[in-house]
Amino acid sequence: MTANNPTNPDDSLPLKGMRILDITVVWAGPYSTMQLADWGAEVIRIESTKYFAATTRGQMARPPQGVVDGGTSTGMGYAWREAGERPWNRHAIFNAHARNKLSMTVDLTKPEGQEVFERLVEKSDGLIENNLPQSMDKQGIGWERLSKINPKLVMLRMPAFGLGGPYRNYRTWGNHMESISGHPLIRTYPDLSPEYAPAGVPADAAGGIGAALGMLMGRRYVRRTGKGLMIEAPTAENFVPLLGDFVMDYSMNGRLWTQMGNEHWYLAPHNVYRTQGEDAWVTIACWNEDQWKSLCEIMRMKDLANDPRFKDNESRYKNRKELDAIISEWSQDRQASWIMDKLQLEKVPSGIVMNERDATEDRHLHEREFFSSIEHPEVGTHKHVRTPFKSGNHENVGARRAAPTLGEDNEYVYKTVLGYTDQEYADFEEKGHIGTEFDPSIP
Amino acid sequence: MVGIMPLDDVTVLDLTHYTAGPFATRILSDYGANVIKIERPETGDPARMLPPFYEDKPGLERSGLFLWLNTNKRSITIDLKKEEGRELVLELVKHSQILVENFSPGTMDALGLSPTKLLEANPKLIITSLSNYGQTGPYRDYIGNELNLYGMGGSMIGAGNIDHEPLKTAGRMVNYHAGYVAALASALGLYTVEERDELGDHFDVSIFETATHSIDMRLNRLMGYQYTGRLAGRQSQASAVGSGVHPCADGYFLITGGARFIPNIIRMIGMDELLDQEEWSTPEGRAHPDRIDEFLPHLIPWTLSRTKEEIRKEAEKHAVLGGPMNTIEDLMNNEQFIDRGYFQEIDHPETGPIKYPGYHFTLHRDEDQPMPDRKRAPLLGEHSEEILQEIGLSKSEIETLKKQSVI
Repeated sequence: MTANNPTNPDDSLPLKGMRILDITVVWAGPYSTMQLADWGAEVIRIESTKYFAATTRGQMARPPQGVVDGGTSTGMGYAWREAGERPWNRHAIFNAHARNKLSMTVDLTKPEGQEVFERLVEKSDGLIENNLPQSMDKQGIGWERLSKINPKLVMLRMPAFGLGGPYRNYRTWGNHMESISGHPLIRTYPDLSPEYAPAGVPADAAGGIGAALGMLMGRRYVRRTGKGLMIEAPTAENFVPLLGDFVMDYSMNGRLWTQMGNEHWYLAPHNVYRTQGEDAWVTIACWNEDQWKSLCEIMRMKDLANDPRFKDNESRYKNRKELDAIISEWSQDRQASWIMDKLQLEKVPSGIVMNERDATEDRHLHEREFFSSIEHPEVGTHKHVRTPFKSGNHENVGARRAAPTLGEDNEYVYKTVLGYTDQEYADFEEKGHIGTEFDPSIP
Repeated sequence: MVGIMPLDDVTVLDLTHYTAGPFATRILSDYGANVIKIERPETGDPARMLPPFYEDKPGLERSGLFLWLNTNKRSITIDLKKEEGRELVLELVKHSQILVENFSPGTMDALGLSPTKLLEANPKLIITSLSNYGQTGPYRDYIGNELNLYGMGGSMIGAGNIDHEPLKTAGRMVNYHAGYVAALASALGLYTVEERDELGDHFDVSIFETATHSIDMRLNRLMGYQYTGRLAGRQSQASAVGSGVHPCADGYFLITGGARFIPNIIRMIGMDELLDQEEWSTPEGRAHPDRIDEFLPHLIPWTLSRTKEEIRKEAEKHAVLGGPMNTIEDLMNNEQFIDRGYFQEIDHPETGPIKYPGYHFTLHRDEDQPMPDRKRAPLLGEHSEEILQEIGLSKSEIETLKKQSVI
């Protein structure tokens, strides 16, 4: 369906020809369209200069310096810690996931905006959105209408908890869907109050992978039946299988696991240990007696292997706190990478706990060409990840074009894709649909 | 009506075992694929002997782990170390569109089932190899489990409290996420072969890399680090006004704020007048770290006098981002999940009917075509004969293979 997609100029990538409309926000939705765009689909982000979706192109359209300083490296950061004149083009999360995507703006609250939207739907293969269902209702975006405009469309919706049910309009992020699903209470520290529970969003990441897979399933369904398809992929429902072991143990045996920290259900040693340097750690796990004996030898504590407290896995598990203290005592003066390599040489499972610097400089990722650099017009050159898996036929598929600045591809989308004339384009511009800056009234 | 499922004309040859690989083929089977699980004779997939077991009694057909990871699949036992076994696999490959395996790198080659051999047998085959670190590179032969892989690839260093050790994710999440990615790779390959008429492909999925690519927003943090020069560290959830895991009448409740949502939290607890005070009236003022501690004496008495569900309702009403800190029991009794009929009851000869996690995503086909019920996991070798008959082996050929202990 596509022609001259500016992010996939040659014809080589697998998803060339697939056009996806992207009305996604924050992270789970954008992570799904990232997968499709990376493999060559033409992903058009439908944005609006009149509406700022929090935490998509930053927390606020015009964040004060205090907010900029508060967002450090957790993905909330701004390039050089400066908001600049167009902060929405400088935000780490957006610029990480939006590479290879296009950005167009349209005001869907106006009738002519809805006409533009309908034309886009007509000319696309799929639409992915992860908004609150009632927000989509307000904009008149639902399957009944879209399937009439394009009977071969795949519409993939990622509400938090579902398009139906009492939680239909309950607004949450991935970490709240996870807390409802039981994740943080299982993963938090054994000996501390749950107030110390960590945040994490594997729910969002899995939601992104699932929606990308869902879209491919949908397209195959269309190909086989000639009919369009609506797919409902609630992020919470998609996530629960990742806790499948715990669901099954409760279901079969009524057993609940909580506050496990780094403990295994039954193996020991199995923990993270402090090493030389600031906030430096290594993980060590043993799942058979050979590994345990090798670990004792490497630590030069052969006697430990015969110590009745640690003689077999069951004893080690029972006395795991004492065992962890002994291993920590040994590890704390050694380098994490030395421990990993030394242990791995003897087939003992171990790994560095990598911080962001370790990861960007890792020798294995380097050799497998995991990162490549591209330039963004407003923030300069940075390293981007390639796709999460390698293909034998298509080498090093990754970032080809930097994340689009707001409205960067308006001309391409309105004129080339939708066929509007120069005059019509100028009219849309005058009516406030086309722009590259958020309305000055938006904080 | 069963109707058409996206993959119901696709056969997946499943050479996976343990967790990540079976997770991948389980998802393909959910959307219709005919998954043929090849297991080693007598012992089968080692996950069959991993806990949790039904009533805590070990047995090949009693592992909850195996049972939920292998729904809808059919099992055939083949001894891959025998020449006849290898040939049987190559014959099955001719009848398959996708092959997924998760042996240690090099094992398939050693078994005489290298990508070259497989693609010779079926030039359109999609091969998805799933391994800890990938098929190449300096860590290729390193070993590791969930804990090691999350520490290396994920944002473990950012999970937890800075005064305490970093924390892993629960259970086998990193492996499952990688399995999910392997399902996506397989589907992408299928699309490429069919829509673009390309030849088969070999996908290399490294669990380490799928984690780095973002089990836990790692890729955003990698960008954030490059943008700001700061390491993520272990940031407390209580890093903005009102944010954090707060004690309440019957447990704990998680609230997340950030600049835009702070006024909603203030209104939720009925402290609207606070917003009139100078230091609380602007986003900049509310972002000041001093505000976090100043707010707690207002917030905590409010949360402590309410239950998780009462707070959840208030949060929903005031557009506050939050959720109760549930157990799995809370989850399985949750009104939303019950209303949607999420958990599926599946019967099994050893366990009787028990509840399993539901579908990842739901296809809304015609109204009379709800998502199908899943079939229970196969008993070891349950479908050996049936599968061999399907690919045209005669009764006597099957008997011979049995006598040679190939199947």
